[in-house]
Amino acid sequence: MSARILSGLALAALAAAAAQAADKPVAIVGGTILTVGPQGTIDKGTVLIREGKIAAVGLDVAVPSGATVIDAAGRFVMPGIIDAHSHTAIEEGVNECSDVITAEVRVSDVIDHHDVNIYRELAGGVTTVNVLHGSCNAIGGQNAVLKLRWGKPPEELAFKAAPRGIKFALGENPKRANFRVPGVQRYPSTRMGVEAVIRGAFEEARAYKKEWADYESKAAAADKPLAPRRNLRLEELRDVLDGKVLVHAHCYRADEILMLIRLAEEFGFKIRTFQHVLEGYKVASEIARHGAGASTFSDWWAYKLEAFDAIPYNAAIMAAHGVSVSLNSDSDELARRLYWEAAKAVKYGGVSEAEALKMVTLNPAWQLGIDKWVGSIETGKDADIAIFSAHPFSPDARVEATLVDGVVYFDRAKDAGSAR
Amino acid sequence: MSRPALALCFALAAGPGPAQDVVTAITGARIVTVSGPVIEKGTVVIAGGKIAALGADVAAPAGATVIDGTGRTVYPGLIDGLTTLGLTEIGSVAGSVDVAETGDVNPHAQAWVAVNPHSDLLPVARANGITAALAAPTGGLISGQSALIRMAGSTPDALTVKTPVGMHVVYPTGRPPFDIARLFEEPELKTFEERQKDKKKNVEKELRRLANLLEEAKAYGEALRAGRAKPDLPLESLAPAARGGVPLIVRADAEDEIRGAVAFAAERALKLVVAGGLEAWRCADVLKQHDVPALLNVDRLPRRESDRYDAAYANAAKLHAAGVRFAIVSDDASQSRNLPYEAAMARAYGLSADAALRAITLSPAEIFGVADRMGSLAVGKDANLFVATGDIMDHRVSVTHVFIDGVAQSLETRHTRLYEEFKDRR
Repeated sequence: MSARILSGLALAALAAAAAQAADKPVAIVGGTILTVGPQGTIDKGTVLIREGKIAAVGLDVAVPSGATVIDAAGRFVMPGIIDAHSHTAIEEGVNECSDVITAEVRVSDVIDHHDVNIYRELAGGVTTVNVLHGSCNAIGGQNAVLKLRWGKPPEELAFKAAPRGIKFALGENPKRANFRVPGVQRYPSTRMGVEAVIRGAFEEARAYKKEWADYESKAAAADKPLAPRRNLRLEELRDVLDGKVLVHAHCYRADEILMLIRLAEEFGFKIRTFQHVLEGYKVASEIARHGAGASTFSDWWAYKLEAFDAIPYNAAIMAAHGVSVSLNSDSDELARRLYWEAAKAVKYGGVSEAEALKMVTLNPAWQLGIDKWVGSIETGKDADIAIFSAHPFSPDARVEATLVDGVVYFDRAKDAGSAR
Repeated sequence: MSRPALALCFALAAGPGPAQDVVTAITGARIVTVSGPVIEKGTVVIAGGKIAALGADVAAPAGATVIDGTGRTVYPGLIDGLTTLGLTEIGSVAGSVDVAETGDVNPHAQAWVAVNPHSDLLPVARANGITAALAAPTGGLISGQSALIRMAGSTPDALTVKTPVGMHVVYPTGRPPFDIARLFEEPELKTFEERQKDKKKNVEKELRRLANLLEEAKAYGEALRAGRAKPDLPLESLAPAARGGVPLIVRADAEDEIRGAVAFAAERALKLVVAGGLEAWRCADVLKQHDVPALLNVDRLPRRESDRYDAAYANAAKLHAAGVRFAIVSDDASQSRNLPYEAAMARAYGLSADAALRAITLSPAEIFGVADRMGSLAVGKDANLFVATGDIMDHRVSVTHVFIDGVAQSLETRHTRLYEEFKDRR
């Protein structure tokens, strides 16, 4: 659809990406490097990139001859921003709304790599997004972690090393409180029902797991029994029970957060992140004890009843209680200014600037299980980097260039501009 | 819910009253006047609800309450030029929302009447320096009349600075209104060209309707003055805008909508303000030519996929360069507190820091005809101002004091109360 009219924008980016040979080293020199890693902030430092990975970071890094040099003098260099809650590139496939539990459906099957918002988000310094289903149903399906390699087909957008994940949803949305269509009714309609459908699903998953375990234990025997019928929905939930899948749970109210912690602990699995989690500050200790992360909005509130106790201090309070906190967008528009969303954590609750930066980089990386590869500028990690005109928290900050795997996918100076 | 506590907080802050007799001096602060040069270190004196004095060598009067402004910055109160503040509480709860009346011709709907002075949203906006906002109805063809409200007071009368400020109109899109009951009906199969033709026809029809209503209202106004009119509240309400006395504030984003609105208003000698204005940068020529100001919301995605990614961010800078008047607005209620950050985005994408600040202070005051009272720091103006720990467009900066009509306002909000209640819970 949009591929043709996009040509102006797309070609500029693609040309930049193509022009850069993958094996030629890249050096970003002269900038203030906010590593978000053990090296802290490095003034007038160099980031050396080889084969898409960070080969060296520091003051005295030699730039090899033949390297592509990016002059970052007067600029700020930070790890690419990670948005732990996105619906980018799946406009026509956000929700399988027709059933309550749809653990079998996969975001990776409906990626629209022509979605111009991929490019727009790169222009906001974003390099990795966690594309989740919507919150229409209690268990929505399998998410996809993408790297914003604009111009590449869906398979090449996938963050291949990212562990599997699944979206749960609690509260007003799965009970369809605000989205009733005349003549259409779907169970559940209460938070009681939401708990019951999740509980029911995991009881079935537990039985399914046992059925297969029983079968496999007898598989070696001569009188091999007939295999159980394969069920994609229960297979996914079985893997949740086995801790193979990260659970990302959309939630708002404190009571439903506690409900899911209780339920998960009863069935013996972990919640990796509570998403939105606007009342997380009320039960921050419980979230920390469970070991879950929290991915929240900086300051959205009052758009529905369950968001009326939302406060901008949420991130700060949860962080102070030891919860790994990230700030997300849930929006193609907000995703482009997550660096300023992080700055708000400094204002509301006095989070340090270093911790606030982690809320859009290293913390979401941990929450998605990809912190080994991204989230900070450290030797050995992927060269996913955003270059800003000023400190990313300052009111003059603008993204000048964004690299994924050492390849420049956004360069403001080379942006082709509007079609007319 | 802590309604009693909130009511108390407003009672303390209530408008004209004994508290205005207090003389306050903010000393040793950086004073950003907006209308004049920045005073790097000076004093502002507030007395009788007005700015009594300000300058580098102004002394605090004897007996004044002194606020040490060393290292702080004083700004004129921010004016959010397009909101639904006071008209909405919880977006999804119909009982708490009074923004759009039934039907599509509602010139007699007056925002100030329905503004809830005890809304939890008002103190939240105020705590980040917003001291006045345009409360505007939405929806339909003619949405109703907006009011400029101050963020202090315990009755709608006390809140209202000026009404009507504008008659709000939604430029017709040519699409049928959203109807949830028809959501699952099969759409009629039509070609792109057929759809465009339909759209054009519908827009023209709606514009004719609007034109006829304005004509009728004008005639009605004359008949009314001559004592020959039967009661007709909608026409009576529309008459001032039809005469060109009250501006039409027309919501229009697309280039053809903005150009259409400008032509429509020019043909009938109506006063026009464009609201939304996503593609205003494409129409800077006609906006300049007809001196039509725009109320811009910055943090938006471009309207067209083929637009440069920063089309909305750079909009303000382009209008500024072309000499078009504009204010930057939140176009929201709960997000009104982020108004200075919308200005910051315009600044990051080419607008000067001074122009960005003006767009959330003096410019909206001028557009709404209240610049003699607010929008800048000058002797004799209403003492609507705030003190901040630094550049108000910097997300890390906090507001430490807010004054409205010279009265110190509580910075307590629903959010600070919940913060205090839960921050140390283990």
